Amino acid sequence: MGIALVVLATLFVPLFPGSWVFNRLVAGLPAGLAQGLAVLVLPQLGLEVLHLTPQAPLELAAWRPWGMGWAAVSALLYAVRALSARDVGIWSRLMLSSGLGLVWFVWWTGAPTEVLRIFALSWSVPAAVALFLAGALVDRMGGACVGLQGGLVEVMPRATTGLVLAGLALTATPMFPAFFSLWRGLVAVAPAWAMMWLPLIFLWGWAAGRLFQDLLFGDYRGESVTDVGVATIAAIGLLLAGSLALGLGASGGLS
Amino acid sequence: MATGLLAVLVPALPMISAVVLLALLRESRRTAARLSVGAMTLTLVLAFTLLVHHILAGDASVVESVGSVGSLWIDPLSLVLWTFVSGISLIVHIYSVRYMIEEPGYARFFALLDLMTAVILVMVSAADLLTLLVAWFLVGVLLYFLLGHDHRRPAAGRYAFWTQITYRFGDLPLWFAALILVHVYHSASLPVIFARIQAAPHVQLWGVPVPELAGFLLATAAFARSAQFPLHIWLPYTMDGPTPVSALMHAGIVNAGGFLFNRFAPLFEHAAWALHWAFGVGLTTALIGSGLMLIQNDIKRSLGYSTMGQMGFMVMECGLGAFPLAVFHLIAHGFFKASLFLGAGDVIGDARAHDGVPPDAIYTSVVERRPAKPSRLPWLVAASLTVLVPVVVLSLSHFFVAEHLFFEQGVVVLLFFGWVTGAQALFAAHKMSQQDPWRLMLGILASFVVIVVGYTLISHYFGEFLYPSERMSLRLYSAASIHRVSFDALVLFLAAIFVGGWTLTFFADSFDFWRNLGGRGRGVYLGIYALLSRELYVADIYERLSQIVLQWSRRLNVWLRWC
Repeated sequence: MGIALVVLATLFVPLFPGSWVFNRLVAGLPAGLAQGLAVLVLPQLGLEVLHLTPQAPLELAAWRPWGMGWAAVSALLYAVRALSARDVGIWSRLMLSSGLGLVWFVWWTGAPTEVLRIFALSWSVPAAVALFLAGALVDRMGGACVGLQGGLVEVMPRATTGLVLAGLALTATPMFPAFFSLWRGLVAVAPAWAMMWLPLIFLWGWAAGRLFQDLLFGDYRGESVTDVGVATIAAIGLLLAGSLALGLGASGGLS
Repeated sequence: MATGLLAVLVPALPMISAVVLLALLRESRRTAARLSVGAMTLTLVLAFTLLVHHILAGDASVVESVGSVGSLWIDPLSLVLWTFVSGISLIVHIYSVRYMIEEPGYARFFALLDLMTAVILVMVSAADLLTLLVAWFLVGVLLYFLLGHDHRRPAAGRYAFWTQITYRFGDLPLWFAALILVHVYHSASLPVIFARIQAAPHVQLWGVPVPELAGFLLATAAFARSAQFPLHIWLPYTMDGPTPVSALMHAGIVNAGGFLFNRFAPLFEHAAWALHWAFGVGLTTALIGSGLMLIQNDIKRSLGYSTMGQMGFMVMECGLGAFPLAVFHLIAHGFFKASLFLGAGDVIGDARAHDGVPPDAIYTSVVERRPAKPSRLPWLVAASLTVLVPVVVLSLSHFFVAEHLFFEQGVVVLLFFGWVTGAQALFAAHKMSQQDPWRLMLGILASFVVIVVGYTLISHYFGEFLYPSERMSLRLYSAASIHRVSFDALVLFLAAIFVGGWTLTFFADSFDFWRNLGGRGRGVYLGIYALLSRELYVADIYERLSQIVLQWSRRLNVWLRWC
């Protein structure tokens, strides 16, 4: 029963190959709000499923190194794949799938569900913001592939600011919560594990750099479009500021 | 208590200024610039006041933060670097007021400058590993946005990306070192970790002493930040960013490697192999950077490679155990390079306006009064002066100032490089034809003596301020020492390289060697020239490697249908 629930949870808290279903499901929803809400809710549902079997990490103790290793491999796989993604929606999903690998990693160490929820939200919140803004791009341009138009900041400065902030949060930039989650996750295990996780920081930075290149630089080549509203960007700002506070809270526990 | 509050204000002031600029003053250019420059001036005044207070009556202390991030270590290193960083930043701020006036995003630029300054100030005074890691990481992120300030230029974005990716690569070893130290010493607080290292320096992880392992990782992090070979490519190519950012980067940010070595000095006392490695990488970088600088035809890129060479020398000093000298070097180089960058525009303007070298007094005296018939000192006299005078001057000044360190290997190597530099200057002076060669030689000799004595005195007292404990300096030099035979062989090898280079230069000029070179020799010469002009193909190799990874990334995405 325990192992069946764990496998079921991989469909919601993405872990390869279950993550393929998760991504398919999210991609099948309408771009924008629906996808944003899905990446917020589905991982929490997955954690509820895991909560039903609290003894699983102990029962499967013999599998622990393999499980932790597989979580790292899954995260690395999605980080490498995010390098070539130029569509904001796809990029956000792949980055989220990569980051949530850490939730599995920490789950194997026997961390309580409350901690896992914070870890999941560290990546889900910025991914939800990015997917919501990707929806705004799809509405206005028919797609969210930023490489096609270039220099989006010229015509949509507010949306671009939101995307850049979400991108930074997704790539574990301090002071966003993902940074502190990563720190807490790695401090809790033997340093040898860091050798598998630290390349992620490099790959995430690389993926973000490539996306920002298309978002921020060069002349805009598309048709004239309207930016997202001030109220929308203010709400996004508040959400990300809230996540900053969450990040500072999550940084506790070490002196 | 009052000192602690003032200390918190030093990084807080530019941070507050940045927030106000972004939130309220995005459209008011003049007010934004005034506020930013004002905040920076106040920061410098505060930093300098705290430095003076420490010199007169101070003691190192830690200002604890409310959470687990943000504790500050108020020690001589932090205070010296606070004053230096805020000084350089103020110069850059004042320069930017007019330089950036016609650029879009004027207030945003000042806000980013303020934020960058605040983050560097936190970085150099971080009292715990998490704060250091946060600040170290954020410097890379902010530099990306500063370099890419002009978003209309794709080249600016491309090179900002290079910098960001190199910095991110360099963050990994710092992360790893931090995790190892926390795991082994059960604390993130730097003073606590250093105390525990002193108590138990031989603790091992995976069969390797922890200070040695962490030292290697910290040195690697420092290499990426200070543009050491082969992680240097970002530095000469970041000239597409605004000139004030280039100045800030070359004068301040790139020095982070030297800071990291000094901050972890108590750890490096027990990391001899990491220091040897730093010496090797620093020496290689110094030679390659200086060599590539000589063949550039673009003034800013030439300055970029010059910085690379200087950073190599700074890391080499750390590798020799001369930690305070590295800080003195980075400060001196910082002010020197900032003035060169900020004056680069004027030099280019002058060069466009006047066809030829600007006529100043020294140029007229040395070059334009060159007689039709060359007149030089007898070669034996010149050779003796070139070889002996620097040895005597350097040795005597160091002997009288710091006799107890005189026979340390690190000091001997530094004296050796001092001798090379001095001999090079005298050799170059000898090659200039003059009506009165004795006058020229005596002038150069007098300048040399003043510089050496001044440098020795200042660096000695500066070193005493940073590291008041003489035992610590000795332990650092001792850790950097190698076996006597290897050391002698190294010095002989380096001496042979330099003397061989001078001899080659002398005879090549005298006998027009390069023009008469034929056949295979010419092929080798052209091969080396191509290698250097392509900057050793380092960028091409990175480009190819990244293409391979991206190709695989695309394939995986196609196979998995982007899900």
